[in-house]
Amino acid sequence: MRSEKSNKQKITKGFFYFLLALLVVISFIPFYMMIVNATRSNSDILKEGFTLIPGTAIADNYNVLLEYMNLWRGFLNSLIVAVAVTVLSSYFSALTAFGFAIYKFKGSNFLFVMILVLMMVPGQLGLIGFYDIMRTFNLLDSYVPLIVPSIASTFTVFFLRQFLSSVLHSSLIEAARIDGAGEFKIFHKIGIPMMMPAISTMAIFAFIGSWNNYILPLVVLFSPEKYTLPVMMGALRGSQVAQNLGAMYLGIAISVVPIMIAFVFLSKYIISSISAGAVKE
Amino acid sequence: MMQSKLNKYGYLFILPFFAVFLTFTVYPIVLTFYYSFTSYSGFGDAAFIGMENYQRLISDDYFWEAFYNTIYIWGINFGFQLGIALLLALLFSDIRLKMKGLSFFRAAFYLPNLITIASVALLFGILLGWHHGTINHLLLDLGLINEPINWLNNPTTARWSVALIGAWMWFGNTFIILMAGISGISNDYFEAALIDGANRLQMFTKITLPLLKPIMLYVLITSLIGGLQIFDLPMLLTDGRGSPQGSLNTMVLYLYNQAFKFNNYGYAAAIAYGLFIITVCFSLITFKAMYRKSVKGE
Amino acid sequence: MGEACMKKVFALLMMALLTLGLAACGDSESGGGDGASSGKKTLTVWSFTDELEPAIETFKEKFDVEVELTIVPIEDYPTRLRPVLESGQGAPDIFTGELAFIKDWIEQGYWETLNQEPYNVDDIEDDYIDYVFELGRNSNGEVKALSWQTTPGGIFYRRSIAQEVFGTDDLAEIGEMFSTRESMLEAGDQLKEAGYRLFPDEGAIRWFAQGQDPQPWVNEDNELNMTEGRLNYFDYAKELREKDLTAFAPEWSPSWFAAMDGPINYNAGWDEVAEEAETEVEVFSYALPTWGLHSVLKENVEETAGDWAVTSGPNPYYWGGTWLGMYSQSENKDLAWEFIKMMTHDEEFLTDWAMETGDVLSYLPVTDKIKDEFSEDFLDGQNNYTFFLEEAQKINPDTVTRYDQQLDSMFGTVVSEYVEGVKTKDEAIAEFYNLVNSSYPDIITPDEQ
Repeated sequence: MRSEKSNKQKITKGFFYFLLALLVVISFIPFYMMIVNATRSNSDILKEGFTLIPGTAIADNYNVLLEYMNLWRGFLNSLIVAVAVTVLSSYFSALTAFGFAIYKFKGSNFLFVMILVLMMVPGQLGLIGFYDIMRTFNLLDSYVPLIVPSIASTFTVFFLRQFLSSVLHSSLIEAARIDGAGEFKIFHKIGIPMMMPAISTMAIFAFIGSWNNYILPLVVLFSPEKYTLPVMMGALRGSQVAQNLGAMYLGIAISVVPIMIAFVFLSKYIISSISAGAVKE
Repeated sequence: MMQSKLNKYGYLFILPFFAVFLTFTVYPIVLTFYYSFTSYSGFGDAAFIGMENYQRLISDDYFWEAFYNTIYIWGINFGFQLGIALLLALLFSDIRLKMKGLSFFRAAFYLPNLITIASVALLFGILLGWHHGTINHLLLDLGLINEPINWLNNPTTARWSVALIGAWMWFGNTFIILMAGISGISNDYFEAALIDGANRLQMFTKITLPLLKPIMLYVLITSLIGGLQIFDLPMLLTDGRGSPQGSLNTMVLYLYNQAFKFNNYGYAAAIAYGLFIITVCFSLITFKAMYRKSVKGE
Repeated sequence: MGEACMKKVFALLMMALLTLGLAACGDSESGGGDGASSGKKTLTVWSFTDELEPAIETFKEKFDVEVELTIVPIEDYPTRLRPVLESGQGAPDIFTGELAFIKDWIEQGYWETLNQEPYNVDDIEDDYIDYVFELGRNSNGEVKALSWQTTPGGIFYRRSIAQEVFGTDDLAEIGEMFSTRESMLEAGDQLKEAGYRLFPDEGAIRWFAQGQDPQPWVNEDNELNMTEGRLNYFDYAKELREKDLTAFAPEWSPSWFAAMDGPINYNAGWDEVAEEAETEVEVFSYALPTWGLHSVLKENVEETAGDWAVTSGPNPYYWGGTWLGMYSQSENKDLAWEFIKMMTHDEEFLTDWAMETGDVLSYLPVTDKIKDEFSEDFLDGQNNYTFFLEEAQKINPDTVTRYDQQLDSMFGTVVSEYVEGVKTKDEAIAEFYNLVNSSYPDIITPDEQ
């Protein structure tokens, strides 16, 4: 009786694992098609259709691609912007959250509520005005409109402040003051380490957000050598590269594979951050 | 005494934030509001035209079509995204099954989130080609279809394609968030239910779902706000104008084209505010609905 | 997740930032330094194709300067370029304009006026094919841009297929077959029986729907011109689809290019296709203008080189063309003018250019010199030059408007909706008017008149 039940259990379990495996296959098959097709020539793809076997045209495809667009440059550009955004938003959000949590000053409640309200506003609301202001300041076609606004990341401030109010021990800060530490020193030596777990959670979000941002760089960047990766990918679509499916697949693969490799090493960290971010909400 | 003297530091600490916040967030929003009452064409002077843009917006079929498309796509997308994520969460939280490999599957399902949407759109744009697309070739080889389907040239298949690509990208994220919520539920509940002889479905509907409500609200609201702004996939999957037959014309895509392609900045600004009002309404409805249900339930 | 680990990740991020920051600085230094250290001037050029590349190489050698060419895909080109020109930030010294948007641009102040000191291009006006020169002139009579080429169109076809199906590859005879729409479709039927397709896709026929009397999209009163010819396009395209005379290879798609060089995969459906042979199909002809020869066919063809010929279709048409002008705020006007001079009226250079590429020039001193002797190997020795120059005489530039790029693309969209059978003709037309009204509220569509 008992063994029959555990047998049934095993079969159910096996079935579920099969379903999961199927889902993994579905998740990955587009990537596999991409990688296989990246190694095939245009006429091969058009004539032979679907196959699981790689071809031999990868070097040709690479030449066609690079002749037109330097995707590695786009990678570098995206990385510069994303890292700068991550660092700035982390540091200044921590600073702001610390300011709100530690000090009692006139208007602090009002200002914090203002942050809360504007947190709900969709990002595209000010797009027209933002573009216009950037043009007035002559900041178009530069990374300033992509990077600097991240200093004011409302959600990160909100999250860090909530976090801080749960872990803050005012005695620690008092002790530091008695030791003669200045306020900024206290922030750097005590505040930042205290907030570190929350900061790194938010840093992941900031990085991913910037990495995937498409509409803003599309609007503010004009020179192809400044394009971030998503904009470069978009430009690839209307370019001469699009005449050659193999080169097109290779271009997409180049934009995807390094991220996959990085993810293999960082997945544990990233996923625990997302879990933390959701629960603390 | 000392504390109150130091409180002025508060202003110093929040100064950089507010300097940037006012210049790069608040001011653009105000300026956009102003432009929404003008016929601004992006260059030169902005002539004040009162409510004309808003009147046009209300009677603009394309805007309402864009609204309909956006909701349609988001609805399918969210249904699949949440459905798959919930099933997975149910599976992995089942204390009888004790499924292994959670961290592997979580990572595998999450991966598409990290790939820039532009690349995903380009990839599916060519995979879903008509007579020469790899997906059609595969389906033909498998004998699942008899003739190639022009996925991106038929409004229904095009909308479903966008919605399902979105679901494929984001279900892993939803799954992780739900699992995080479930891991916060004490095991005692499940143990007790197990002793009472509750079956899998009962445990899920009576314990897991109610306790997951706050986190589901979070998932719903973030997905809704994101979904109302969907832009990258429709922009890059077809001709950039929302073809076929305007079925992929979403609100933000319409805004982008009016502003940056046809230089109707004033009207685009009004679209932005239309989108904003819609977002606020939807968020309020969602909050209300969730709140009322929970009051009834308790 | 230990705190130590997070610290490590954070430190890693910081390091990455530093490295990148340094790399970026190094980059920009060396970027700016290149020109400075070699003492060379740098000319910046923006365009929407790579066709200028060989000319730029020549120019660099001739004048010992650096040239930076930026290529932006044509569908984004006006959107990207306009703010750059408006702000002057990172603006090029020279930028090109395509036929589809030249009317818009010559009216703006972005291009320097060329019929004034020191350029005085009015003096050389007679050296150009009339319409080409006139298209660069705006409503105030200022000449803003010049072009070296003329772009009448024809039908390029495969000689070997013509031999097989029609028993001849003679230009006149094939031209006769294509001289009316009806006879063209008859030829299409014959081709289909032999396993070939007349055109790669329905778009090819748009040039022949307008007939003998093409009209501009928008007239002087800002009214949309929905002519008989435009309405005919719906029916012709539908007929092509229903008779199954195309290879389903949409213009500019990879399959469109691939079909030039041999058979492509053709899945009409498993039920219909009984024999193995029908899974592949070969295209007989492409409707392309002058530049289609050197920047489309020659670039994408290996196997079928020498197997082509060009003849005229049911009516003359023209398609595209690149105009050159210099940015009015450029600080490099002398050098920019040198480049424009070389590209548009340097006899020696243009002679080489024409012989090299087969591009059909608008500069008469050179065309007069070379046209009689011209022989194109790619076309099995055919003199495409004389052919196209004659076609060029039939071009009427009055049909070009500033709206062409967007309106053509919207129109193409609704026509294909009709062809696909998702809309009736009336619905598709109504849809087109709506699209126009939404994008250009100023244009008066027929349903508003």
